[in-house]
Amino acid sequence: MAPPKKLNVPLNRVEGDLEIRVEIEDGMVTDAWCSGTMFRGFERILVGRGALDGLVITPRICGICGTCHLTAASRALDMIADVTPPPNATRVRNVALMSEHIQSDVRQTFLMFAPDLANPAYEGCDLYPEIRRRYEPFKGETVLEVIRETKKVPEVIAILGGQWPHSSYMVPGGVVSLPTNGDITSCQFIIERYRRWYEKRILGCSLDRWRRIRTAADLDAWLEERDEHRQSDLGLLIRFSRTVGLTKIGRGHANFVSYGALDTPDERQPAKPGSDGFFIPAGFVRGGVPHPFDQQRIAEHVAHSWFEDYDGGRHPAAGETTPYATGDEGRKYSWAKAPRFDGLPAETGPLAEKIVEGDPLFTDLLEQAGPNAFLRQLARAVRPVSLIPQIITWLSEIDVNEPFYATPGEIAAGEGYGLTQAARGALGHWVRIVDGRIAHYQIITPTAWHASPRDSAGIRGPIEEALIGTPVRDADNPIELGHVIRSFDPCLVCTVHTVGRGQLFGRSTLDV
Amino acid sequence: MSTTLYWLQCGGCGGDSMSLLGSESPDLVELVELLNLDVLWHPSLSNGTPAEHRRLVEAILNGGQELDVLCVEGAVIRGPGGTGMYDLWDGRPKKNLTARLAARARFVVAVGTCASFGGIPGIGEGEATGLQFHRETPGGFLGREFRSRAQLPVVNLPGCPCHCSVLAGSLSALVRGRRLVLNQYNAPVEWYGLFVHQGCVRNEYHEYRVEEHEFGEKGCLFFHLGCRGPLAHGPCNKLLWNRRSSKTRVGVPCAGCTMPDFPHEYPFFVTPNIADIPLDLPEGVDRAHYLAYKGMAAAAAPERLRQRKTFV
Repeated sequence: MAPPKKLNVPLNRVEGDLEIRVEIEDGMVTDAWCSGTMFRGFERILVGRGALDGLVITPRICGICGTCHLTAASRALDMIADVTPPPNATRVRNVALMSEHIQSDVRQTFLMFAPDLANPAYEGCDLYPEIRRRYEPFKGETVLEVIRETKKVPEVIAILGGQWPHSSYMVPGGVVSLPTNGDITSCQFIIERYRRWYEKRILGCSLDRWRRIRTAADLDAWLEERDEHRQSDLGLLIRFSRTVGLTKIGRGHANFVSYGALDTPDERQPAKPGSDGFFIPAGFVRGGVPHPFDQQRIAEHVAHSWFEDYDGGRHPAAGETTPYATGDEGRKYSWAKAPRFDGLPAETGPLAEKIVEGDPLFTDLLEQAGPNAFLRQLARAVRPVSLIPQIITWLSEIDVNEPFYATPGEIAAGEGYGLTQAARGALGHWVRIVDGRIAHYQIITPTAWHASPRDSAGIRGPIEEALIGTPVRDADNPIELGHVIRSFDPCLVCTVHTVGRGQLFGRSTLDV
Repeated sequence: MSTTLYWLQCGGCGGDSMSLLGSESPDLVELVELLNLDVLWHPSLSNGTPAEHRRLVEAILNGGQELDVLCVEGAVIRGPGGTGMYDLWDGRPKKNLTARLAARARFVVAVGTCASFGGIPGIGEGEATGLQFHRETPGGFLGREFRSRAQLPVVNLPGCPCHCSVLAGSLSALVRGRRLVLNQYNAPVEWYGLFVHQGCVRNEYHEYRVEEHEFGEKGCLFFHLGCRGPLAHGPCNKLLWNRRSSKTRVGVPCAGCTMPDFPHEYPFFVTPNIADIPLDLPEGVDRAHYLAYKGMAAAAAPERLRQRKTFV
């Protein structure tokens, strides 16, 4: 048996910097460590600033998903101010958030995930020339179309909120804007146009046809039904993923968490069963068994993180981000904290949303093959199927003669949290205001869930766990690791308190 | 002959790349073709393996690969204690790579406020700074004497994010040899010689001092809600965002994100005042005259503005 080989893999095409260290024995990953490599210190920048400053500062944590940070920040302030935004405001907030999702899902799939399929490692596959023709960076046919079409969706956010990325139009009590009927119509045109493109180019069928797929067998039948289905970008993704074995890698812990998102604005939109008034329901699923979600059961561990030690985990309302930079010692190996739900690591994101919701297709696919890189990516690629019609519905329900804002009054003191689902999964802001200033601000991002290090019990984070057992055929081109990691859609700039330490990685890695 | 470009992401959020992805006429791909750019590397879009990337960087640094344009997104992170270990590339401080690449480039472009002046990370504990400015002070990471191989200082394109048309226009000028006139912060005057509020649809409300105390109305946001539109340099309301609108048009107070002092110390959404007149007045304005003018303007305000009848 060859001695274990250690690989240090800096990853491009994630937002921010991610380094994965893996141990490989006989061509298979036997252990993995995951770390972001950048520290900007956003949480501590916020402390001492004005009560509303999170609305300007936190969207700028991430250029891809600023809308969800703005959503979380404004929800936390809604709670502190004890104000309920009027239904119009809820609709505008939801439309903006969903618009960010439906362009991010398509961009991530075809600009970030699919280019790995055009890797020379797959030259021998029958489908490879077609994959290369579509997904080669700056040249691929699909890449060009995705760049041209997805950029039109943020126009909706600009119309309702001024600009994308980085605006601050959601405020405690609602939104600042006063869209006219003409503005709403423009938004509808943009989404309806995107829907037509998405149906033709990505799905190869109508949203309605896709929604009729309720089992794994239905999915096979859909693929057989028409050449348009097989040749669409989604059809090609499915066929190629099966050919190269993406259905067999990236299992992980099989725990799923969703905080819930997109409040239903009033009684005209009846909540789904068990959804507590959210279009995307909240919940935790372990071993196929659903559990109710309660934010009190979230805790962050630092046993393996470069922060001052405490026993077990701490709820983010009591959490701290105090760097403890003493150099290389003992078990600490990352500046990311380890978020846990009921003491367990969990994955979040589109697949988790589908599993928590009890979606029949994804529940069936999960039962058949367990979590895997392909399944996560499929859930992401088809999330617009459920979001697009709801955007159109909520846009049509906006009544421009009704208010978009309810005055919250002065925000002098209080404690609150804002939870939502970002494109990448569960996002929470925990905030305390004292004397009109921010006294405490803790953020747990979806990438903190995914890229978490080991916890107090020594349990690996979701990406670390999902990498175990992954075959690596060529250490110089460890493309299989890329598939698994990217299926989590990591966004490292969001790991707001992550600090990387070079000497750790320099110690025992084989430079590839 | 193509122009080579390397995009380095430092302590930023990727927002400038996202802004660039939103370019229209030309879109990003057309821009690359029209300017005959050879994008050696962009961290969000390139497809090379880690090994290929290392070889590319090595080739640039040893002169084997010519580098024409270095675009830097994000602040240069120097902490802790000047080591740069808070932001690493391949296990080494990215700040060192930044300095070595800048020394090789014909042009160095700071894309966004973080790379220009430090931005939000610049007020944190990561010892982050801009390439050639730290907030208003010249110097920054590379020092005030730095000149790229074309004998230019770092070209700053501030904004959080940088507007895609500003980046496209600046790249075009550099590649095609058109002269860029820079202001005191080394930002091109053709975009940063405007004030953000030029072109704001609330200008008539501003003119007659119909000022809001609350969000969700049509009036001006300058006097009470912390809008920096009349103070901050930038083309937001000329070029518009995503071809559609701007923050001030929809009622979001300008946060002054193009300015070296962004984020300013006092709270957002509040205007520091003296006698109900903003402490910071537009460039070159005399306070006594402004006070008199605004008093008369308020008295002259037509009823339709007072009643917020005019749409924005």
